[in-house]
Amino acid sequence: MKPGFCAQLALTVAATACACAAQADDAGKALKAGHEYLIATNYPNNLHVVEVASDTLYKTCRMPDSFGPGTAMMAPDNRTAYVLNNHFADIYGIDLDSCKTTFHANLSSVPGEVGKAMYSFAISPDGKEVYATVNPSQRLNDHYVVKPPRLEVFRTGDGLDAKPVRSFPMPRQVYLMRAADDGSLYVAGPDIYKLDVNTGKYTVALPLRSWNRPGYSAPDVLYFWPHQSSLHEFSMLYTIAKFKDAKQDPATAEPLYGYLSIDLKTGKAHTQEFAELTELYFTGLRSPKDPNQMYGVLNRLARYDIAQKKLVKAANLDHTYYCVTFDKAGDKLYLGGTFNDLAVFDPNTLEKVGNIKLPGGDMSTTTPQVFVR
Amino acid sequence: MKTTRLRRQAGTLALVATALLSAQAMAAEQGPSLLQNKCMGCHIPEGNDSYSRISHQRKTPEGWLMSIARMQVMHGLSISDDDRRTLVKYLADKQGLAPSETDGVRYAMERRLNTVEHFDDPLSQMCGRCHSGARVALQRRPAKEWEHLVNFHLGQWPSLEYQAQARDRDWLDIALKQMVPDLAKRFPLDNPAWAEWLKARPESKVLAGQWAFSGHMLAKGDVRGVMTVSAEQGDTFKVEVKGAYADGTPFNGSGSAILYNGYEWRGNVKVGEANLRQVFAAIDGQMKGRMFEAEHDERGLDFSAAKAGQGRLLAVQPAFIKTGSDSEITLVGSDLFGKPDLGAGVQVTEVLESTPTLIRVKARAAKDAAAGPREVAVGALKGVQLAVYDKVDEVKVVPAFSIARIGENGASVPKVQGRFEAEAWGKDASGQPLRIGYLPATWKVEPFNERAVEDEDVRFAGQMQADGVFVPGGAGPNPERKMMTNNAGNLKVIATLADGGQQGEGHMIVTVQRWNNPPLP
Repeated sequence: MKPGFCAQLALTVAATACACAAQADDAGKALKAGHEYLIATNYPNNLHVVEVASDTLYKTCRMPDSFGPGTAMMAPDNRTAYVLNNHFADIYGIDLDSCKTTFHANLSSVPGEVGKAMYSFAISPDGKEVYATVNPSQRLNDHYVVKPPRLEVFRTGDGLDAKPVRSFPMPRQVYLMRAADDGSLYVAGPDIYKLDVNTGKYTVALPLRSWNRPGYSAPDVLYFWPHQSSLHEFSMLYTIAKFKDAKQDPATAEPLYGYLSIDLKTGKAHTQEFAELTELYFTGLRSPKDPNQMYGVLNRLARYDIAQKKLVKAANLDHTYYCVTFDKAGDKLYLGGTFNDLAVFDPNTLEKVGNIKLPGGDMSTTTPQVFVR
Repeated sequence: MKTTRLRRQAGTLALVATALLSAQAMAAEQGPSLLQNKCMGCHIPEGNDSYSRISHQRKTPEGWLMSIARMQVMHGLSISDDDRRTLVKYLADKQGLAPSETDGVRYAMERRLNTVEHFDDPLSQMCGRCHSGARVALQRRPAKEWEHLVNFHLGQWPSLEYQAQARDRDWLDIALKQMVPDLAKRFPLDNPAWAEWLKARPESKVLAGQWAFSGHMLAKGDVRGVMTVSAEQGDTFKVEVKGAYADGTPFNGSGSAILYNGYEWRGNVKVGEANLRQVFAAIDGQMKGRMFEAEHDERGLDFSAAKAGQGRLLAVQPAFIKTGSDSEITLVGSDLFGKPDLGAGVQVTEVLESTPTLIRVKARAAKDAAAGPREVAVGALKGVQLAVYDKVDEVKVVPAFSIARIGENGASVPKVQGRFEAEAWGKDASGQPLRIGYLPATWKVEPFNERAVEDEDVRFAGQMQADGVFVPGGAGPNPERKMMTNNAGNLKVIATLADGGQQGEGHMIVTVQRWNNPPLP
């Protein structure tokens, strides 16, 4: 074991050295104010910036440490990308103009504990704080002890050795989070909670496990793509079973697809079923141009009319894609995840209009995000 | 890399080179000092050769191997292969399972990976959704240790509580408050069966001698012969097998074996070009289990053996005869003397060969013999049946449900083949279902459903051979396939009886490589 460990250490050292050297060389050109960009991460440690107007790769920043999950969100300054990485254990802030790492929080801040955030981080609306729900486990000599999750609040100004400035107990099974314009934090877990980041107090903003909707099962949500779409909402897909009768037999129930949305401006939550569950989509997103149009993707790209609960059109794909992203206006639709190419579609016709090859490997579960610098 | 290592470690369990025999012999002596030197760094000594965690669990040799291997892979334990073998032997002997504690779950050790488990919902959903339920059922712990196991699982794999059958419930709460007490009750550390076994546990040397064996390998047929076992030091053995398949293929080879805990027999025997592992329970002059290829554990045979001097009838091969027909029938067992009695309506017309381990006869079933099972006897020895049938009513594909896996094609993992036989069923004189046995058939695969038609699974997933062996396609994305997908497929396996043309149908999923392939699935 030891030789392997040493080799790994040597590799890490080497990689770190390379990253430093690369950072100096590969800072690349700064982003241009007013231009629209898309970021996407992939293996081994790339943070790509794509220029939306030309659908070409603009630059690539190298991220520190190991990849995974590489989930990135843009800060309100529209130049800092915050990335959950290093096997769910660290959050980095990367300045896209210079490719420099400007922020780093190790989520294992308590000695003896290993802390991981399951896609669970968010940025405050003023960009001054980063939130993470950390699932810690204590590593003792001969056993582990799972500790209760906690919300950790970091100050982005604390730089490369940020420590939590506040910490609050959280429910288990928490994943995506988004901060609303009023500063409250919406947290997806067994239900969707609205949390006060100063007191740690939370209430149920949208019941899921505790929905108790007559005639329906509880909804199932498996979603780890925190889309920052221009609809400015916290949205996810869910599946739900509509029972035939009071017997609530799952065998005869009708499985449906729905989406849930929390308006980050108003805090208003709503849910809506839009389709029968006939195929799986890893992500689904409403068009910024016409929010009545839902686009889902996994093995096909499908477009639904939400009001009519009708499949409008579906396109075959060259391979599986996990994640839908729109440009700001909703004129272009990008598919990312899995391989190392972004497919560009016309959301109206579902014709494929372009393909952007990214250097590096698998994008895994990355969430491409679009923003204007 | 880690996976490969674990796979190799599984092999080392059974690998007993002569040079290591002394190490095995001294397991009892070296165990305590190895525990002290290798484990005490993390595990707290509790006096009297006891350590935290380690001394509060009992499990199979494979279970101990997996624990130690995990300490190597995840926790920086540095231990030589020799020392690990010694430690596995020491712990498996000291803290193993009583034979009755492995009842019904030996398939996991025997690498019967097509087994469809039937555990209750709580255990299936809590444990069986990621690994076999058998892996759990082959351990004994007190509540505190089951609790540690829950904490380890969630600490090591934090996504556990977000997965299906977890995210819809308070997973950790259920695991700690419901599963832990339940597991402690069902699989307790303290069990009278273990205490009794420790008292009754025989010396390994009683296994030395001649063993008649009988077996069956799917898509190959019956096999029989004699296994000679000679005791070496420290519960190890030299093993020689001499026999043949029913089709005449020789089954000759030699190797070695080790006995854990007085009955867990693990052997490694080279037969022809193939390295076969033996996973048997050796109890009361019988060995039962499975022999399978080290690199292709789907190629295996059900195995049973009886020691000379025990007087036991093991098998009748084939175990069926059609009314109004002549057939050559072989009886396998130990201490077989005299002319066999094949039951009413079945006459032994000629004894072709007779040894203490094998009697081969020509038999005739009368035209008017009543369909049904016959108790076969050789002298006073009984215990096997011969099915007399008049016609085939139904064909079942065995296994009814199976998994084959793509592989090779530049990938490190070998293909996992499908192996099939057509099991014929008839009716006895009173109309009750009568298992006849495996009859010759022709084979094909068809798409299982519309999706499989559309995706051309039959074209891509692999080839069904004439002998009922399915060879899956190569691993990796296939540019020729829709969406570059790999050669996975969802197939019907269809057998058509050579004589009669009746058809049976099974279901085979051809799927991706098993990357994580520890000794206990």
